[in-house]
Amino acid sequence: MAIMMKKQGMSLLLAKGARFLLFGLIAGPVIAGTLGIIVPAFGWFPPLGGVAFSLAPIQAVLDAPGIWQSVWLSLSTALLATGLSYFCVMMFLAVMWQRGGVRWLVRALAPLLSVPHITIAVGLLFLLQPSGWIARLISPALSGWERPPIFGIVPDDYGIALIFGLMVKEIPFLLLMALSGLNQLPAHQWIATSRSLGYGPVSSWCLIVQPNLAPRLLLAVLIVLIFCVSVVDMALILAPTTPPPLSLRVLSWFQDPDLSARFTASAGALFHVILAGVTVCLWLVLRRLCGIILRSVVRFGIRFQLLNISSRPLCFLGVMLVALPCAIGALGLGVSLVWSVAEVWRFPDTLPARWGLSAWSAGSVSLWDAAINTIVVGVSSAAIALCMVIVWCELTPAAYIKGQRKKITEIPFYIPLLVPQIAFLFGLQIMLVWLDLDGLYITLIWAHLLFVFPYVLLSLGPAWRRWDNRLDDVGAALGAGRIERLIRIKLPVLITPIMTSLAIGFAVSAALYLPTIFVGGGRIITLTTEAVTLASGAGRQNLGAATALQMALPLLIFLCADAVSRRRLSGTGSA
Amino acid sequence: MLPAILRPFIVSLAPLLIALCLTAISSAPLRAESFAEVTRLARGQTVYFNAWGGSPSINAYIGWAGEQLKQRYGITLVHVKLTDTSEAVSRILAEKVAGKSSGGSVDLIWVNGENFASLKRDGLLRADDWAFGLPSFAYTDSKTLPAILSDFAVPTDGQESPWGRAQLVFAYDSRYAETPPRSAAALAKWIGANPGRFSYPQPPDFTGTSFLKQIALELAPDRSVFMMPAETADKDAALGPLWQWLETVHPDLWRGGTSYPANYTDMVQLLGDGELSFAMAFNPAEFSNGIASGVLPETVRSYIHQGGTLANVHFVAIPFNASASEAARVTADFLLSPEAQLRKARADIWGDPTVLAMHRLPQDMQKAFTRVVRGPATLSEAELGRTLPEPHPSWVAVIEEGWNRRFLLR
Repeated sequence: MAIMMKKQGMSLLLAKGARFLLFGLIAGPVIAGTLGIIVPAFGWFPPLGGVAFSLAPIQAVLDAPGIWQSVWLSLSTALLATGLSYFCVMMFLAVMWQRGGVRWLVRALAPLLSVPHITIAVGLLFLLQPSGWIARLISPALSGWERPPIFGIVPDDYGIALIFGLMVKEIPFLLLMALSGLNQLPAHQWIATSRSLGYGPVSSWCLIVQPNLAPRLLLAVLIVLIFCVSVVDMALILAPTTPPPLSLRVLSWFQDPDLSARFTASAGALFHVILAGVTVCLWLVLRRLCGIILRSVVRFGIRFQLLNISSRPLCFLGVMLVALPCAIGALGLGVSLVWSVAEVWRFPDTLPARWGLSAWSAGSVSLWDAAINTIVVGVSSAAIALCMVIVWCELTPAAYIKGQRKKITEIPFYIPLLVPQIAFLFGLQIMLVWLDLDGLYITLIWAHLLFVFPYVLLSLGPAWRRWDNRLDDVGAALGAGRIERLIRIKLPVLITPIMTSLAIGFAVSAALYLPTIFVGGGRIITLTTEAVTLASGAGRQNLGAATALQMALPLLIFLCADAVSRRRLSGTGSA
Repeated sequence: MLPAILRPFIVSLAPLLIALCLTAISSAPLRAESFAEVTRLARGQTVYFNAWGGSPSINAYIGWAGEQLKQRYGITLVHVKLTDTSEAVSRILAEKVAGKSSGGSVDLIWVNGENFASLKRDGLLRADDWAFGLPSFAYTDSKTLPAILSDFAVPTDGQESPWGRAQLVFAYDSRYAETPPRSAAALAKWIGANPGRFSYPQPPDFTGTSFLKQIALELAPDRSVFMMPAETADKDAALGPLWQWLETVHPDLWRGGTSYPANYTDMVQLLGDGELSFAMAFNPAEFSNGIASGVLPETVRSYIHQGGTLANVHFVAIPFNASASEAARVTADFLLSPEAQLRKARADIWGDPTVLAMHRLPQDMQKAFTRVVRGPATLSEAELGRTLPEPHPSWVAVIEEGWNRRFLLR
């Protein structure tokens, strides 16, 4: 008994040590970087001549024209994009989860999940702007437009295009997270019970399953919310510019050639952290309100019979809520592909007047460089993150994470996703330059790891924790040591989630924009930084080619991962 | 965190002391090294050339220069494509702040005007008048082109080497505007009669700000105030006519002035699709290039305002902490060489006019320059003759700030 206690104490110590190490590696830079902007935000930064504390930078932010409109734009787009994505996913699951076919849909959505945000944004631009493909399709025959119409869509004044673009990316993510959470709940039983009490399938879902699923989804939803409130790359293309959202204004202060704007930028970044906090608080309040309403519905036994009268249209509606945004996103990707092989394609031609591969040959040198960098940084950061997650999960048995006595919490590892990127990257950049570590491959991989690690943990963690210990016991009885059991039993059995999270890790890395430009010192270009540069006007053909590669690479990695896991599974099956 | 902020400050002093000691020991000036020696040292170095990357033809030209440098001098040229030059300025600053006085990430930067003024003021450039020592600099003549020594009224002091000439040129689609409006007043009238088809890139975009400067200069009762620093001038009086002009046209701009093209290449595409009837660029050959590549229809022609348009010179500069300063100098010299300048001037390559003085060139080169083909939408040198000098760079911030206050909230 005493030995066992001691052994448990040892492993707890080991787990705490690992957590300390990971904390330093993942959350440390974020905290240090954020602190690095707080001091200049109050005017103290000797290298730029700021040697006295003052409130002038804060005042400069407050005095910036239209700052509150920028704040409101960031806040409203984030809340709406997150709320609508969540709503669509829940409605879809309410009508579809019991029917099956969900798995198939998730498979179909995997490409959208893996494509970087900027690629989706470019696709929507190609599709929806006044000279976009939809306008070309109906012009001039149907619309009578000889010239593109004069109206402001994409980008529009209210950020609707941005909200839509964010939804296209976040719906598949939340859907995947929801399905993973559902695996841990006896949802089918609950629905059966509530239906026997006279509730319809949709009511059962909304009143019973959803409230139980919500806490499990909270982390994922908050990650989405913070991402939306601080998004930069997608906003550069889809957000209005009069005035732009707060994140873009802070970025432009950081990039102002007048160096004293750096104080304003730091204050703006601090402002942005506060905004992110306020957004989260608002979300939590709204969530609580919804909970109260739902509970009172249950208390009064309201059964919403109306919702069950015709379940077929309802079903159709639920599917459309998810399928329509995703289909439009996919169509946009298709138009980008056409642009990549177009030579001459002016309004109102529905298809290019002249086809050609000049986009692939003219700017191709940097395009291939960017593709290789994307692969190297993406694969290394995903592989390192995967190893770290596996070691972490092995060191911390499920018992420490779950249960009443929470001895170890994983929340610190998600800090890089819960702080706006713009808030800590400038501080981090200064620190890296000072340590002479900027612009190196290894530093960039580490910076990507800050974002890749949490996502890999999020996707692999639950599968790992559900591990059936009896398999381990059998292995141990056959004389296999801990390492041998890990390699010969656990890894082969869990190969599918492992390969999936590797592919997700790659997709996360391939999509990173701000970390790449801040840490890579501009020297290491990836497809995402290249696409943002090209999106500022350097020919739609070149932009099409860059986005085509952005689609191809993560998809290729997903297919490879899929092939590996299938091969492994069929191999063990026949052995 | 305080010590971490303090340390770069302390660390930055150390190299300074070392440098002081070194200069005391070896009093041999840097200028003494011959350019042949510089070329020898440059072999094998990699130059990170930070240049705006928004134009396919310019990107392709820089790619060509890279191939030539590799072949001739064994230099690897990497084009770091910027969406805005200020990105690189901010990076050099971050390095200075961190006390990184060598091994910087930028070796050569494409720059002029406001960005140069800022870099120079903060001591972020290599300051030993290296540009005057380049062999190719002998082909220039500051008497015929004074702007190679004074960048937006700021003396270059040899801290940047001239690369090309630029002049603000407008283009119109002759299907939508029969006779182009050749003055600010005529333009305002046209916009009022044809709402939704004119716009300009949103400041602080370089071309957009330049358009505002152009209008300000055209309307100003006294242009000389713009040649002096803005701090000393009566800003409201100087810029009043500009704001009034903008207020008049604003409701009739493209999308009602609620959004703007991102930059001039974006405008060219909008002109090609017919969303806009006009575009503007700082490269006289831009629109011929557009026709050649099929972005623009053949009905597009270019023009300038009767009173002349803004003209300036653009440069390359080397940061104080460049890692490959020798190779950067060789690159700057190559970019200024008659051969590279000739290729740059070709309409099918880039169409950027040369900064070299014809009378200083060898006979065969002079001939070659006269044979450079101009595209259908490129004005002749004579038509481009009317130019306006750039205002002092301090006006940029004033104009941008005023624009933000009036037009950012729509």
